[in-house]
Amino acid sequence: MAVIKLENVYFGYEKDKDVLSDINYEFDEGKIYAIVGRSGAGKTTLLSLLSGLASPTRGNIYFQDEDISKVNKYDYRSKMVGVVFQNFNLINNLTAAENIALSMDIAGSKEPSTAKKEKAYRLLESVNIPREESDRRVLKLSGGQQQRVAIARALSHDPQVILADEPTGNLDEQTQEEILQILKRLAEDGKCVIVVTHSPEVAKRADEIYRL
Amino acid sequence: MYIFKNAFRNTVRNRGRTILTGIIILVIAFSSCVALSIRQAAQTAKEEALEGLSITAQISLDRSAMMKQGQDNSNSSDSSDSKKDFAKMMNESSLSVEDMQKYAKADSVSDFYYTLTTSVNAVKIEAVQSSYSVNNMQSSSSSGSDSEKSSKASSDTSSAQTSTGNAPAPPQGDMQGGGGPMMGTQGDFTIIGYSADNAMTAFTEGTSKITDGQVFSQNSSEAECIISEELAEYNSLSVGDSIVISNPNDEDETYTLKITGIYSNSQSGVQQGGNMGFSTSSDPANQILMSYTALKAITDKSESVATTSTNDMGIEQSSALRANTEGTYVFEDAESYEKFEQQARALGLSEDYTVSSRDLSAYEQSLTPLETLSKIAGYFLIVILVIGAIILIVLNIFSVRERKYEIGVLMAMGMKKGKVALQFISEIMIVTLMAAIIGGAAGAASSVPVTNALLQNQITASQEASENMEQNFGRPMGDMPDMSSQSSEDAQANDSSANDKSASDSGSESQAQQPPQMQKTNYISEINEAVNLKVVAQLLGICVLLAAAGSAVAVTAIMRYEPLQILSSRD
Repeated sequence: MAVIKLENVYFGYEKDKDVLSDINYEFDEGKIYAIVGRSGAGKTTLLSLLSGLASPTRGNIYFQDEDISKVNKYDYRSKMVGVVFQNFNLINNLTAAENIALSMDIAGSKEPSTAKKEKAYRLLESVNIPREESDRRVLKLSGGQQQRVAIARALSHDPQVILADEPTGNLDEQTQEEILQILKRLAEDGKCVIVVTHSPEVAKRADEIYRL
Repeated sequence: MYIFKNAFRNTVRNRGRTILTGIIILVIAFSSCVALSIRQAAQTAKEEALEGLSITAQISLDRSAMMKQGQDNSNSSDSSDSKKDFAKMMNESSLSVEDMQKYAKADSVSDFYYTLTTSVNAVKIEAVQSSYSVNNMQSSSSSGSDSEKSSKASSDTSSAQTSTGNAPAPPQGDMQGGGGPMMGTQGDFTIIGYSADNAMTAFTEGTSKITDGQVFSQNSSEAECIISEELAEYNSLSVGDSIVISNPNDEDETYTLKITGIYSNSQSGVQQGGNMGFSTSSDPANQILMSYTALKAITDKSESVATTSTNDMGIEQSSALRANTEGTYVFEDAESYEKFEQQARALGLSEDYTVSSRDLSAYEQSLTPLETLSKIAGYFLIVILVIGAIILIVLNIFSVRERKYEIGVLMAMGMKKGKVALQFISEIMIVTLMAAIIGGAAGAASSVPVTNALLQNQITASQEASENMEQNFGRPMGDMPDMSSQSSEDAQANDSSANDKSASDSGSESQAQQPPQMQKTNYISEINEAVNLKVVAQLLGICVLLAAAGSAVAVTAIMRYEPLQILSSRD
């Protein structure tokens, strides 16, 4: 069963000028999907639709067969999907661990703060951020480390779907490889990983490719 | 909960923004605390002074209305007739004791007493001359510098004084009371007859005290009296001696008074107000006190043996002792006083009379600098709040713009707009409360010295203005009509009472040493405490309002933001 399904989706920032038209995609659990296309083709827009930051002008998006237009957008973003933004979009004055704990708080976690912090450390360790780095403000981390923190944050509320926008952009080859390994492992763990990318290397690692 | 934790964390970590906002709120809180304290101090001083104030009032003839009525009549008659009519009207308009007692039945009145005052000369004894009166008399006569001579001179001069124009002090009621216009000869002594012990306010207040013998019996018509220590010493009189007084209009008409007591007056010297001139009879040392009943018997007898004559203006004059009756109504509080006039009118008091209270006037006068300061503090507070609010709003506009990206990220992560707004409000409130506590504490600590310093400036300014006026006039400024409304005993007692009630008075210089017109107002010049729970609550309210004004900007912006737009514009 598809975790996310797009049915005749249209979207345009201006009236009568669609960026996306008649999109019909299905995304299953346990797979990595790559969405590729030229610049301006609407890749990031598609990811915005999937993450609930934007709504289609026509058509429907279903999450586990439920039309997400009928779901509270904030709940959808905080609980159902995990998003790794192109620019990481971390809160700069918080530490790596605090960024993740905050994400859990927003998702409505009732765990005590010590338990949340411990979980944050574990998640960061799972993306190769050691504890001593976890308590540093994210601004002081490298680009690769920030990307890993962003991935860890996307996983903080254990969503079924991970959406990643250019997750390897601006990263060196070794870090790129590490990030791809993490995404692969997530897919192996049963998550649906949707990656928007320019990179043919990343696309090659995907189970399915959608071209815009 | 995480919202408040996050807000606190942001407040601590964004030190620059927090310190800047904090300093602004601290300054506002400090200034507001001082301004509120001044206002509160003024209010407290006002209430405390009013609470302890024994308010008395007199019913006085509305002379301006009577004059107007007289002028209207003069249009239809010649000048001399109108003067006669006016004099007659004034005499007929005087309130009798029975009338005064009728108005004393008003619910608002807690006590009522009355006095009868007259001016006499004496046989074989001489009036005490105070330094002021001696100087005054010397300047107005060509007598030598020898005190005995000056005393005689004053006696001669005063004997020649007639009070057809500016009335000498006793009897004072000629200006407002029930005695009508004084048109007779002024004596060297003032005799005051009291209706009851509590009418002797100088004794009840403690400014006068019997040092030998005892006070005359109130209900006795025996001609008993008490005299001042100064008068007794000056004339070697003691308890049990008799003095002979004479009618200044007819020196052959004499009465003998027996001295039952001698009293000391802590406010010795001249204490009369309202007279442009001065006579020895104004000196409290030359006041002879007796019961109303006894004095009334003397004035009645004088009336019965009096002869009448017509003066140059064609006005009939009696040789009888000029007596003036004045009633004093006592009230529990200012509210009762406020009700009195209406109640007296209901009991038949004509519109030709006014009700006034010298206590309240003195009380209002004493508060003038503090109230002026309170008004200035009020305007200052408004300016501070407006400027403070504008600065905070601008600061928050910049802050929200600067943190737009953070707001977008929080929303993209699924944080609802309301919660983002709550976090921003919490951050502002945290800074506001911390700054308000520090600023408020500093304001509370410095409010008393700051208020006192400012108050002193106000008093100095008031005194300088008063001195300038005096220089412009070439003499001290007097407040003629009000000052003459009370007997000297009442004036002394009320002034001392007002002094006691004030938080603290600047009038260290004894009023008793000053000539009539130079009496200074006893301004409240010091406050001891300014900050109370009300001020704290007001300060907190102000700070919360300021924070709310600042927050409103943040909330409005947050509610308009859309995460996709924010994050797209960053990309």
